[in-house]
Amino acid sequence: MSRAFFLSVSTDDPRLNDPLWARSVLSAAEQARIDLFVMGRPDARPFDAQVIMGWAAAATRRIGIVAAVPAATSHPFHVARALSAVDHLSDGRSGWLPLCGGAPDGMAEDMVEAVCGLWDGWSADTLIIDKASGRYLDASKVRPTNHEGPFFKVAGPVNAMRPPQGHILLVIDGADPVSVAEADIALVTEGQEIAARCRLLKTRVDSDPGAIADRFGWGEIDGAHFELNDAMADIARIAERFGHLVEPREGKTLRDRLGLALEEFA
Amino acid sequence: MMTEQSAPQIHLWAFLQGIGHYPSGWRHPQATPADVFTMDYYRRVGQLAERGRFDAIVFGDQLHSRGAGGRTSERLAMPTLDPVTLLVAMAAVTEHVGLVATISTTYNSPQMLAERLATMDRITGGRAGWNIVTSAYATTAGNFGEEQMPEKSARYANAVSTVAEATRLWQQAEVPIPQGRPVFIQAGQSGEGRDFAARTAEAIFCPAATIEDGIAFRTDLRERIAAVGRNPDAVRIMPGLSFILAPTEQEALAKDAALLDLADLDLCIEYLAESLTVDLSGQDPSAPIPLDYILDNTLAPREDIARVLTLPASKGISLGDFATAYVRTPRGHNVFRGTPEQMADMMIRWVDAGACDGFTLQPAWMPGELELFVDQVVPILQEKGRLRRDYPGKTLRDTLGLGPLGADLAA
Repeated sequence: MSRAFFLSVSTDDPRLNDPLWARSVLSAAEQARIDLFVMGRPDARPFDAQVIMGWAAAATRRIGIVAAVPAATSHPFHVARALSAVDHLSDGRSGWLPLCGGAPDGMAEDMVEAVCGLWDGWSADTLIIDKASGRYLDASKVRPTNHEGPFFKVAGPVNAMRPPQGHILLVIDGADPVSVAEADIALVTEGQEIAARCRLLKTRVDSDPGAIADRFGWGEIDGAHFELNDAMADIARIAERFGHLVEPREGKTLRDRLGLALEEFA
Repeated sequence: MMTEQSAPQIHLWAFLQGIGHYPSGWRHPQATPADVFTMDYYRRVGQLAERGRFDAIVFGDQLHSRGAGGRTSERLAMPTLDPVTLLVAMAAVTEHVGLVATISTTYNSPQMLAERLATMDRITGGRAGWNIVTSAYATTAGNFGEEQMPEKSARYANAVSTVAEATRLWQQAEVPIPQGRPVFIQAGQSGEGRDFAARTAEAIFCPAATIEDGIAFRTDLRERIAAVGRNPDAVRIMPGLSFILAPTEQEALAKDAALLDLADLDLCIEYLAESLTVDLSGQDPSAPIPLDYILDNTLAPREDIARVLTLPASKGISLGDFATAYVRTPRGHNVFRGTPEQMADMMIRWVDAGACDGFTLQPAWMPGELELFVDQVVPILQEKGRLRRDYPGKTLRDTLGLGPLGADLAA
């Protein structure tokens, strides 16, 4: 599989609360072949992005949907469950962007570790659902998590299934970077170093697509990220100027399509 | 004969957690248990409830780790996906039906609740309801870094202050909330729970196994509601109602028996173990109920369990026989078995007797039994002028006929 060029956008527009506006903007982004739609930003989140994401799972068919999740006002048990449900309903098209802002140092990292630990409490083949024998699941494949971090103590096992993607896509924003060993995608500014499997350069809709394509070709970046301002107009410009960089990709889940499958599922 | 205008309207809610009310529901030949992880399923049942002109779809919730005494059940279907996510996803594929999420005040801060529910009300276009619970299972505490769950009275005191604080946050919200706040729903059964419901709730969910139980509960709640200066007519009392429908009563009974037969002894024991929060896997089903073992090991309040078990244990009933009987009366709710005409008549009888304002339907298995209700009972209720043919407005408050916020306060 050839390397994928990613197109990613984020919005903190309060109109995302409005189902009519949200539907039109998500639909435009989907038609523009944008890979990731990030809801909320480090400094502004005028909605609960995890809630909008559940709605968006049903209102979209192909785009990756990513919720900004602030550690300061979240709990891993709730987060693990909500994101698991979204990943199921979206057929594995979800991601999350944990935020440190406002939380004590280390809290966001602790949240990420606890949430992933809860997901790992369920094996991918836990469910049997055999009507004939009456066995619904294999209890030996469900394990307590017993996470004990500096901020969160979570026993588990979580009462939610493992997400179809195993772990949903983990996105880091360079403006508020959570330090984790294995992020999937980092949204970075020019010259910013953040360890992640893919790096998307934050750029502007009027920047030169040729220069972006060159840098992708040289392997410096894996795609472009745009912070939407006037969302509908910006998406139209992105489609017009950058859409040709995205090639159609096959795959069931977002990880599959972006070439980010987890080892255990590979 | 009553006209369409004067006959009391029947409110319908759909309680859709899991694969149906019967623990063996997932084994029904036509049940599609794997579908409850897919959007197609929620689109289908959301649109079905809307076709049946239901007020709302309700999902329960638990924050404990399932499985009695730390052991995960193997025979119980327990796909507890996050209710808010399921409901907002259904909002994207429906237009009118209300969406009621169960959220605990014990394990969410007022800020978390207020933001979550405000966003839910906005993205659903004013169709959000909040079933306010305080959590009950002891193993919930460990998932939130606590040794023990607070006592019930402390949980209710916290619920009162949490609702007040969330309400204050909603009043200050910068982005408008369509209904001002979600509709408040409550399901407390104890005296404390009933008082909290009387002060707070706009709709109340309860078990009522018989019409007499329903009348007693509704009468008691209406007295409590009036006593705190609210108008009892502004609160909907919605007992649970499970059902098995068939063209004849005999066929319905046979269908019920066949579904219960799918609850084999192992499933019955697991269901009982889950309810008693104790591991029964090492116990002999043919021996008498091991009362002392259960009381010593349950994670639930000892006196609650003793109340359920002391009488059957004193009669020497075996554990297996008790578990098998227990599955036949799931959670103390009314179970109807009969024809669509009989079910419609029964529902009208309950409402006219003052036993309820409507029903929280708990289909024995999903989605087939709910489809039968919508296709066969709903038209009868509409024909008799007891069920709306169209929704009156857009929001859940409109659908419930609650009037503007504050309208419940008696003049």
